Amino acid sequence: MSSQAKDINFQTDSFVEKLKRRQISGSYQVALETCQLLMKFVAATRWTHIDQLIVQIRLLGKRLESAQPREFSCGNVIRRVLALIRDEAHEDNNNNNQQTQNTTDSNNGPMISSMFSLLSITAEKSEQEPQSKARYHDLKSAIIQGIKDLIDEISSIDEGIESMAIDLIHDNEILLTPTPDSQTVLKFLLKAAKQKRKFTVLVTENYPNGTEKAHSFVKELTKAKIDTVLIPDSHVFAVMSRVGKVIVGARSVFANGGTVSTAGVAAVCECAKEYKTPVFTVAGLYKLSPTYPFDVENLIEIGNSGKVIKFSESELFHNTDVTNPLFDYIPPEHIDIYITNIGGFAPSFIYRIVLDNYKNEDVYLS
Amino acid sequence: MPPKKQKEIEKDERLQAIVLTDSFETRFMPLTSVKPRCLLPLANVPLIEYTLEFLAKAGVDEVYLMCCSHADQIQDYIEQSKWNKPWAPFKIQTIMTLESRSVGDAMRDLDNRGLITGDFLLVSGDVVTNIQFDKVMEAHKQRRAEDKDHIATMVLTQASALHRTRSHAEPAVFILDEKNDRCLYYQDIPPIDGKKSAISIDPELLEGVDDFTIRNDLIDCHVDICSPHVPAIFQENFDYQYLRRDFVKGILSSDILKKTIYAYITDDYAARVESWQTYDAISQDILARWCYPIVPDSNFLENQSYTYEGQHIYKEDNVILAQSCKIGKSVAIGAGTSIGDGTVIENTVIGRDCKIGKNITIKNAYIWDNAVIEDDSTLEWSIIANGAEVGQGAKLSKGSVIGFDVKISQGQELGKDVRVSAKKVENNNRSFVNSSDEDFEDDEDDEDADSFDVSVVGSQGVGYVYESEESDYEDDCAKPVNSLMYQIGSLALSDDSIISQVVKQKKKRSYSTTSVMTDYEEENFEKEAIATLERALDQNHDIDTALLELNTLRMSMNVTYHEVRSATLSTLLKRIEHFIETDTLNTKQATEKIFKQWGPLFQRQVFEESEQVDLLNIANGLVAKSSTLDDSVMLYVLSILYDQEIVEEEQILEWYHGNKIANPLVKRFIDWLEEAEEDSDEE
Repeated sequence: MSSQAKDINFQTDSFVEKLKRRQISGSYQVALETCQLLMKFVAATRWTHIDQLIVQIRLLGKRLESAQPREFSCGNVIRRVLALIRDEAHEDNNNNNQQTQNTTDSNNGPMISSMFSLLSITAEKSEQEPQSKARYHDLKSAIIQGIKDLIDEISSIDEGIESMAIDLIHDNEILLTPTPDSQTVLKFLLKAAKQKRKFTVLVTENYPNGTEKAHSFVKELTKAKIDTVLIPDSHVFAVMSRVGKVIVGARSVFANGGTVSTAGVAAVCECAKEYKTPVFTVAGLYKLSPTYPFDVENLIEIGNSGKVIKFSESELFHNTDVTNPLFDYIPPEHIDIYITNIGGFAPSFIYRIVLDNYKNEDVYLS
Repeated sequence: MPPKKQKEIEKDERLQAIVLTDSFETRFMPLTSVKPRCLLPLANVPLIEYTLEFLAKAGVDEVYLMCCSHADQIQDYIEQSKWNKPWAPFKIQTIMTLESRSVGDAMRDLDNRGLITGDFLLVSGDVVTNIQFDKVMEAHKQRRAEDKDHIATMVLTQASALHRTRSHAEPAVFILDEKNDRCLYYQDIPPIDGKKSAISIDPELLEGVDDFTIRNDLIDCHVDICSPHVPAIFQENFDYQYLRRDFVKGILSSDILKKTIYAYITDDYAARVESWQTYDAISQDILARWCYPIVPDSNFLENQSYTYEGQHIYKEDNVILAQSCKIGKSVAIGAGTSIGDGTVIENTVIGRDCKIGKNITIKNAYIWDNAVIEDDSTLEWSIIANGAEVGQGAKLSKGSVIGFDVKISQGQELGKDVRVSAKKVENNNRSFVNSSDEDFEDDEDDEDADSFDVSVVGSQGVGYVYESEESDYEDDCAKPVNSLMYQIGSLALSDDSIISQVVKQKKKRSYSTTSVMTDYEEENFEKEAIATLERALDQNHDIDTALLELNTLRMSMNVTYHEVRSATLSTLLKRIEHFIETDTLNTKQATEKIFKQWGPLFQRQVFEESEQVDLLNIANGLVAKSSTLDDSVMLYVLSILYDQEIVEEEQILEWYHGNKIANPLVKRFIDWLEEAEEDSDEE
């Protein structure tokens, strides 16, 4: 058992290192791998009371979160698992209470009157031990099963979102997406095309960080015979008047209904607001975070300055500061609807889904 | 069975990396006299971490650290770091190669140990890079498939000639085949000083090449993928010292080896911290996120807690900032540091637990852990090492380096490029590089052993000024090309003008000496060395040639420098005897003639203080044995060696007192030395 515990320590440490080194990146990947790690962690950890497990997972969550503080899906998954454990524990406790009530009833039956009955009670107690051990194993397997379900949910998340595509995309509609790096958006559009919808997609170029991804996104769309137009980021306002819907892929959705997405999306949503174009945000449930975006600046990762101007040319600009933010924060009032794997919701309703999936006491892990 | 086979393949493909932790240079003196270069902090993270992070990301399986100077410190550091933990991404091992005095020696040592199994990654311990290594490896393998003589791929970063991150101390020109980036020629050029310089290329090198480019805009970050032949080639050519200047050039201009070297030019970030100028530039690059994801807020060290704020400001937890202090762009501040009212900070890295007072101006300074900067001082383009203190109102001008635990008293103003260390740093000739520098100037400063350089550090200060050996070069050579940007750059001193000549001569000779050597392998070293030297004396060879031959002999017969010294001395003394016996010259003239000319041989045979004493012992023994030579010879020898700075005063005294020399003439010299010292003490 100790070797197993040691092993899990190695695994968590190497996982933290990988996160720091960004060898694991992308919210989908991080969410899945975090789940796998948590499953192993729960399997390897021993506890006498369920609270111990919760404390340990919270500590682990704290470490994972600080390894890549702006990869929110990691923290979200941990909070989901914590909520799951708390639910299981609660349920277990209820059962247990009923059971203990029963046992105390039976215990109360025979009075302790002789030496023999004293001994017989201890015998009975030792019989109880394996019973609680069985409960411990039940609880453990229930939690592990819960995490497995979560993994299934995450890996099949796109199906839930895709199924709504046909209802939301109409024939001869012009769509605009400023997030060609989102696989969810890609699958959403492909699904609609498969179901014989005829529509046009405008794709922003996403210079400088997502240009390559934008190109492969466009390639995929044209392969599915969707009319696709690649436009520079600066052209968004000019075309907005003709756009029917803006489809945004989210990186993280916060409890207030705001979202963090790829850099440049905030401006696009602002344009959409001007023309009253509806903005649809697609996001899997694991991207839903129970936290509030109090410090927006702190949510935004600043990337490689070398993408904005070449490093070899940086000397020409040595008195200029170059920053390359990778994310944008979009306030809830700029988003019309969230499309998740469990349905479409208004931004003002997100808090409710958060309550369904997370526990309040886990919002802050430290 | 199939799974087993797969495992074998995997085993073959494990990637090894060799990290040269020592640079065999003295550019970071006096700080490197206390700590090795690879443990100096860059943006509050020891330099070696950047290299190891890169290797971890590159998917390396085994890392060997070649340690030379301060090897124990590096070993301790690695043992306690996360790289030594079981979950580290690779196996790490430190290799002590204390004898090595150049990259060449380290490579030969590596070859002797036989660790290399396949293509390996050779990096220096001061690389900062975010290149995607898989692409480089792919390119290497592809070229390897096309060209079986391909033995090395050098990673070069696209920059510009005067890029701040490019080395100004060791710029180099690469001539590449336009078609496939094959490197045709390599030439190091003199440091950028505004003067014109020319390179000459052998037209034969360009035969069969359609188009070629001459590039003087690349950053050479010393990240190479090498085939196992590379250490072997070093072994075969034991005069190779440098990776680039000797090895690359040697391979490319050799008709015999017929090997090729390719370049991989990347747009990603890759640079080497090899001078103060690049230290400054790379620190700024890291703060400005040019090397993303290698940024302070990645928190590579386990206990770090940097967070990013706008304008490239990074702060750890528990930083105390006074309300009226002004933190400008590109600043990193470590935990536990407090900054007082009215202080203005810009483009600066501050370590942990520093105390920065009030109304201080700090611009482009690098302040390491536990430093104390008192009120009203001004720091510009300077480095304050761990535990140093800068007194109230002190002014540090551009390029100052304040060493570990140095104290600068209040009100002191330091001139440009002053380097101060708490312990006196001898310009000990640790490597061949320095010893070939022939500066015969008498250093008055060396005389006073105990008192600090009060004129610089002030009355309550602690510290000595470090005089760089190459200080003569500074004025004419290191003219800042772009005054502000290259201020710290002007600290980076050149030491290659003399070396390059040496190298050229070596190359011509190397093959002939190899053949000579094999014939006499069984012979004893002394006889052989004396014969070599006598030939040199007779034919009046120049010193470098003689030295090279001696060195060749030493290596082939595997003897220590002690034997070399003894053979050299006995040859020289025999020659003096000869002059005296034939009555051509008197004792003094003969000694002077021989030792003035050939004394410099010892500069590359004597490196440490104990060796100086050894030299004198040998001399004394030989003189005593000889019947023709009288006591006066020893006096002349001593004074000449002293003038040439081969032996230093302290060692002479140590030798004299240690061996109870009963030579009246020598005693007079010793008395004179001691008096001179007392005089200077009084001053």
